[in-house]
Amino acid sequence: MNKVFLSLTLLFFVFKNLNAQNQKIARQGQVSFFSYTSVENIEAVNNQALSIIDLKENKIAISMLMRAFVFKKDLMYQHFNESYVESDLYPKANFEGEILNLNREEKIQTKIIKGRLDIHGVSKEIEIKTKIENVKDNFILSGDFNVKVNDFDIQIPPILASNIAKTITIKFKFQYEPYEE
Amino acid sequence: MKNNYKFIFLIMFIASSINAQNLLEKLDKEFNVEEIDEIATFKTTRIGLSHSIETRKKGALQLSLYFRYWDTNAPSGQNFLADKVSTRYGLDYAFTDNFTLGIGYTNYDKLVDGYFKYQLLKQTKDSNKRWFSLTLVQTISHQELTSTIYDVYESATTSENSYAFVTQALFARKFNPNLSLQITPSFIYRNKNNENDDPTSQFAIGIGGRHRLSKHTSFVSEYNYVLNSIDSIETYNTFMVGVNWEVRNFIFQFHLTNARSFAEDLFLTKTTNNFNFRDPNLHFGFNTTYVIQTKRRK
Repeated sequence: MNKVFLSLTLLFFVFKNLNAQNQKIARQGQVSFFSYTSVENIEAVNNQALSIIDLKENKIAISMLMRAFVFKKDLMYQHFNESYVESDLYPKANFEGEILNLNREEKIQTKIIKGRLDIHGVSKEIEIKTKIENVKDNFILSGDFNVKVNDFDIQIPPILASNIAKTITIKFKFQYEPYEE
Repeated sequence: MKNNYKFIFLIMFIASSINAQNLLEKLDKEFNVEEIDEIATFKTTRIGLSHSIETRKKGALQLSLYFRYWDTNAPSGQNFLADKVSTRYGLDYAFTDNFTLGIGYTNYDKLVDGYFKYQLLKQTKDSNKRWFSLTLVQTISHQELTSTIYDVYESATTSENSYAFVTQALFARKFNPNLSLQITPSFIYRNKNNENDDPTSQFAIGIGGRHRLSKHTSFVSEYNYVLNSIDSIETYNTFMVGVNWEVRNFIFQFHLTNARSFAEDLFLTKTTNNFNFRDPNLHFGFNTTYVIQTKRRK
């Protein structure tokens, strides 16, 4: 009886400590992407990206709805969702990774996040250089990186090859607050 | 005693690892489940002949050129490709996301037409909240009909204004990413007829659909059935098959149809030839539309 009781209390403490201080959530993360060509510039912003970071394990997860990307032109929005990323089949883009060598106490640091990016049903390992700011133990993560459209099996018809850049710049900014389940 | 410690460590290890793997699953729970409207039911604002339920977003201006080519009964013609061509020049502007106003001029029929289009309901995706999309269209068209009375001594030409009003309710549903269908009941009212007993109010019901062939092209078809057709001349119901191609800001529509006019009141009720492959009944239509976004939608 004593053994069971002891292990149960240990379990209780383990669960309690693991959460509130160590997991942070960002509910209105901003993710935007840009495609610059000599013919046309395309850009879109998603202000509803979600992200959780676990500061004990230094892990991060990001998820966003492809439909939430806002374009200035309506036809671009329709083409993006219907023909390019096919958001009917792949409604979300996800990222799961690890923050390397995170120092929880430092005010501003630039560290590399290494993980798997999932878009259009294709997963790719990438490393993102991220600026991590610590404001009273609430974190702000921001940065930008490039991806190749081809890597994610997104097909661009040859007639539009000069309108859509082969490499797209993605910028992100997440502001975290404590996460209670 | 040693066993105890091992057991405790095992429990702690399991507890900590279970928590760390569920980050993405936790995110999944955080998404608020709000209803998302279905987009791109048709991708074009006309199926081919009739309007589709789509309206452009606020500030979108559509410039359109519609062509219809057909041959006449003449035994030998020297015209290149086709004997007759009818062109409609059109302009559509979206005042809000749901309300569009359009005007157009057809040179062959010498007809000016204008329409208001309001999207009342949008189908929701993945839920049974709204099963279909509903758009209301009101078309007004004006033609100047000239008639000449030949008398022994002199001939008098009179011209009168002929107006026609067409009210349509478009019901459409996107069944899956590849197939959308639309039903179009219409009410046509003409202010005068050419001194005969034709009904001035007519009802028609149309059915149209779009099947996606590839990411940017789709196959469309449409059939319009008139419930009370006019008696003075023989008319037929209109049928259309075609292909739509969307590229960036351009939309191209190619179709075969037996309708000669672009205005709803004319092509629904006054199409005088049937759809078959005998000359001169095969009419070829080509529509081009260019969409310009005029202001920032913020």
